[in-house]
Amino acid sequence: MALNIVVCLKQIPNPDLQFQVAPDGLDIKRDGLNYKINGSDEYALEEAVRLKEKNGGRVVAITIGPKRAESMLREALAKGADEAVRVAYDDPAAFDVGKVARILAAAVKMIPHDLVLTGVQSDDYSNSATGGLVAGLLGLPHVSVVTKVQVQGATLEAWSELEGGLQRKYSVGLPALLSIQFGANIPRYAPLPAIMRAARVPIKEIAPAALGFASWEAVALPYTFAVRGLAPPGAQDHAEMISGSPEEQAKTLARLLREKGFVRR
Amino acid sequence: MGHDILILAEHLEGKLAPSTFELVAKGRELAAQSGGVLKAALLGHNAGSLAQGLAGYGLEVLLVDDPALAEYTDGGYEQTAVALLEGHAPRVLLVAHTAQGYDVAPGIAGLANLPLVTNAVDIRLEGDKLVATRRLLNEKIQGEFDIASDKTFVVTLRPGTVKPAEPAPGGAVNRVPASVDASKVRTKCLGLERPQVSDIDLASADVIVSAGRGIQKKENLRLIEELAKLLGGVVGASRPLTDMEWLPKTRQVGQSGKTVRPKLYVACGISGAMQHVAGMKDSGLIVAINTDSTAPIFEVAHIGVVANVLQLLPAVIKELKA
Repeated sequence: MALNIVVCLKQIPNPDLQFQVAPDGLDIKRDGLNYKINGSDEYALEEAVRLKEKNGGRVVAITIGPKRAESMLREALAKGADEAVRVAYDDPAAFDVGKVARILAAAVKMIPHDLVLTGVQSDDYSNSATGGLVAGLLGLPHVSVVTKVQVQGATLEAWSELEGGLQRKYSVGLPALLSIQFGANIPRYAPLPAIMRAARVPIKEIAPAALGFASWEAVALPYTFAVRGLAPPGAQDHAEMISGSPEEQAKTLARLLREKGFVRR
Repeated sequence: MGHDILILAEHLEGKLAPSTFELVAKGRELAAQSGGVLKAALLGHNAGSLAQGLAGYGLEVLLVDDPALAEYTDGGYEQTAVALLEGHAPRVLLVAHTAQGYDVAPGIAGLANLPLVTNAVDIRLEGDKLVATRRLLNEKIQGEFDIASDKTFVVTLRPGTVKPAEPAPGGAVNRVPASVDASKVRTKCLGLERPQVSDIDLASADVIVSAGRGIQKKENLRLIEELAKLLGGVVGASRPLTDMEWLPKTRQVGQSGKTVRPKLYVACGISGAMQHVAGMKDSGLIVAINTDSTAPIFEVAHIGVVANVLQLLPAVIKELKA
């Protein structure tokens, strides 16, 4: 069965970087950060493209974020997405996942979809909430932490990873939403001609009015949200650090391991 | 809006999940703050003895027992939970941030249009506000967030952040009639699959030397193997390495892999994402080697070395052989 697939992507600061809190304590310092596609979203995109290649259909890549996120959408086009959509909610921090999910749900609703894919979590805020929220808001059945998907007639079979490496196998009626786990596949590299082509594809931009909101501030929420403050995590229980040159560090570590009786000879 | 705190119990194959007892502990704290009572919802089939076991922790267990709830599905759990929330209007619905918990909690919050906070390491109630502490950006930043609402707060709590509750008297089980509309359950569980085990059991090792992305190339695993041999231990890994198939899945330490408590755990080039730390934080002695001095692994480690493992390990091996 050919599938209309919407894959939700997020551009995040490279989490391997160092981060500092902004002077007002309400965000991180964002100048000079480099941004990339969220880790598990890469697997969600790859899964979307593979499902299309195998079963036919279309892949729409969608993101919510500032203009900079267009580079990620072009990467998605180069890797096989047929259309790219940016919801122009420009808050660079966007800490309120409930608000982002409500905007995303409104946008996904406007796009024909048999299947919605997200990554299992974004590595910047680690909520693992967007997929489930969007599914709940749209009334879609959903399965999280999916490592494998197969189309079976008008339904899907999805394997969901639990703690300890156990997997639960589900059959899911369509339309549905799945959150894709890290390592579900091996994401492809975009070939150069595809990158060149993707550079010329127009990216559809969605303003609040197109989703029926007077403004992004007017999105109805069942709560109010505020950042109280950000800080580096407390240095409580911090390790005893071994300093010195690599040789000195190695000597000290070897001595400690010996003293504690862990060395076999 | 009431003041009670409702926890959603999690169970698999006839056993309560360890995280459920952490929810009991946190739920007691929250009930004291809100001036309400702690209750638990247990959804399942033929789950009477499980509910009795949970009631042994001194709380009222609302048992919804229905064949449609025999296995976890989003559709069955969510409609049952939403019906319970309508009937009981708790201040907070507390769920563990597990694979099942972060599937169901956002689903409930979306379906019933409720405020949601996930993966909190701490929460407290202040007036009409829920104050949540969360970790951001690979654990390098901690944030406090205020969510104000007169509706039930749906919250997932990260496992391992509170001490599990001890049994207490005064509990009871109350059966709540099920109201599962099977036509709304579009997900069907076809069964559980267990990984094939034909490898060493990491959980029984006294010493584990684990490798992470910091080792850069598969060939460098021989350094990890050599150190493990000198320490009489076995080789483990963080998730990215088993995803890349540098090591079999059976060697993965963490939430989705093995939980281990060896006497010695050496983390080589592992940053210490929550998913990994959850599986090794209770080890006897934790030694961490990483180039990034702000890596969260140093928070759980007892001994830390800021160094490139590829330079440090050959020197350590040489010292140990001397």
